[in-house]
Amino acid sequence: MAQESNVVIDHGKSQWSDLWKKEDFLAIWLGFIIIAVCILAYTTYGPKAEFAEKIAAANQIQQAELAKAPFKTIAWHNAQDAKGKLKGSSSAFGKFASHWTKTPGSWKTNPLDSLVRSEAQAQALNEKGMAKYEEAKAKLEVALAAAVSAEGVAAGASFQDQGLNDEASAKIAEWRAAHKAAGDAKKKVENKPYNYVLSLIGLCIFIAIIFGAGIALMGKSAPAFLQGFAIVFLVAVLAYVLGGQAISKQYGFGAEAWGVLLGMVIANTVGTPKWVLPACEVEFFIKTGLVLLGAEVLFNKIVAIGTPGIFVAWVVTPVVLVCTYIFGQTVLKMPSKTLNIVISADMSVCGTSAAIATAAACRAKKEELTLSIGLSLVFTAIMMIAMPAFIKAVGIPEVLGGAWMGGTIDSTGAVAAAGAFLGQKAMYVAATIKMIQNVMIGVTAFCVAVYWVTKVEATDAGHSVGVGEIWHRFPKFVLGFIAASIIFSILDQNMGKDLGGAIVDHGIVRGGTRLLRGWFFALSFAAIGLSTNFRELAKYFKGGKPLILYVCGQSLNLVLTLAMAYLMFYVVFPEITAKI
Amino acid sequence: MTEKSLSVRLKNFTLVLGTALAFVYLFLPLLTTSCGILNRMSMYLDDNGIDPTRYYYTDVVQVKESEDYLRFALEEK
Repeated sequence: MAQESNVVIDHGKSQWSDLWKKEDFLAIWLGFIIIAVCILAYTTYGPKAEFAEKIAAANQIQQAELAKAPFKTIAWHNAQDAKGKLKGSSSAFGKFASHWTKTPGSWKTNPLDSLVRSEAQAQALNEKGMAKYEEAKAKLEVALAAAVSAEGVAAGASFQDQGLNDEASAKIAEWRAAHKAAGDAKKKVENKPYNYVLSLIGLCIFIAIIFGAGIALMGKSAPAFLQGFAIVFLVAVLAYVLGGQAISKQYGFGAEAWGVLLGMVIANTVGTPKWVLPACEVEFFIKTGLVLLGAEVLFNKIVAIGTPGIFVAWVVTPVVLVCTYIFGQTVLKMPSKTLNIVISADMSVCGTSAAIATAAACRAKKEELTLSIGLSLVFTAIMMIAMPAFIKAVGIPEVLGGAWMGGTIDSTGAVAAAGAFLGQKAMYVAATIKMIQNVMIGVTAFCVAVYWVTKVEATDAGHSVGVGEIWHRFPKFVLGFIAASIIFSILDQNMGKDLGGAIVDHGIVRGGTRLLRGWFFALSFAAIGLSTNFRELAKYFKGGKPLILYVCGQSLNLVLTLAMAYLMFYVVFPEITAKI
Repeated sequence: MTEKSLSVRLKNFTLVLGTALAFVYLFLPLLTTSCGILNRMSMYLDDNGIDPTRYYYTDVVQVKESEDYLRFALEEK
């Protein structure tokens, strides 16, 4: 029983009261209440109608420009920029939500900088970036003047002269590059003073209340939860502070890793106080965070780079996942099937987020999740540096290199970093392939949950499992996760790319659900650390099998992804590569 | 299992946490500054505001930028 308390599941027969008493359902309700509030705030009571009007006006301009010239004109790009500026998160609700869910910021030498930044510090940072910004601004003006002049000459020939059209198109491309550079430089002079202490206290109270209510409904002691929650929250905040340091971040050692490490150091040295343990509700935090993550799993994203992207991210990935799992069971004879599948998903799909979703879907133990994420962090740091260096050394083209890194490096941030290090196009391809792969976690979690209740647990139990039993055992929060994903995919699709981007992506998700999802996962990692025993963790690593599994699976991933990327981008669809 | 005294536990806490902090905040910066490729990468990430610790695509600004670039690049016109 003591061992079972470690497992991500609830017990007992299915009853109607499960709907308001069981953790899985409470995670769904809590997640969906947050989702509903965000949808209402950004649509019915938000800027949706105003944005739709502005987008329609910009679309009219763009259509007129496309009818006029055989290339995208300056006015076309200006209209596109105007659409890009429309973000739900800039609304009053967006600003409110962002203010009260702030995480400690970045710092270089003084950790306190992550919590408080004075007016003088902000000004000093802005002054530091001002010279670069002024230079970028001047280059932008020159590039714009050249683009206006070239477009004017092409227009003078009624856009009938191909040479003049090409010249104008090239000048406009130069202006866009200068525009991006100026935009990046501008971000460095927009630093503002802040003090996050008050908002963190407010957030702590808010999260304590919502989860405390859930705990009370589950029949556990809410006062005991509330008493210990402040410590769990404090560890999560400290983890954000420690993970915010520039060098720590560079190696992928962020808040999640620090949360587990800090919690484990406390638990295994001074000892986690007994009154804190009732607040270490790892599963409740994770399941609620996953329901919110469902809102970010948008299925329409998988066509972002056409058929090659689907093959690289959606064909290779499941093949690697299944092969790695089978290899772990048949060759390595991994004693824990849950650890085997969590490492396989973590390595093949998208690192931490896939590990969390899979671990919860197959009811893995928290030590198994910790171990998988630890392996992923180490290999991500190595691959993020080694892969672009290797690709440059052997002269692999940028698009192929980007697709290879996007399909193999675990974490999305590390993929963007490695891609950017290789080149601009490599980053575009790598980040987009990774995004398509990210969307797979919904399917992965659902398939793993179904496979586990129908096959693995049935085999372990030694008898066939009926429909009622399958329903009883099924981790219900996965349904909430999938439902959120389907709802948001439909919502995003129906609104269209521009309005969907402004309202769903930059509103409901980035200005709402994602903010709390980040905190719920950070809390779960702090809680995992605070309730994990070093000895228990070491037991799972015995014989080094998890490491061998990861290395073998990743090797297969590297070979298959490179082969598929080459085949898709250079043999089957070279015209797509040419356009990139 | 026998409970260790508070002073021993505090000593262990300081030792383990100190080692972890020293590794990340002393060893890694030293490694970064002394190795050319790591130093370049560090500056590049800092200049471009890329955060390798973020694990999901909605957490990474560069993903949206990439998606938009490919959307327009792959369009017919």
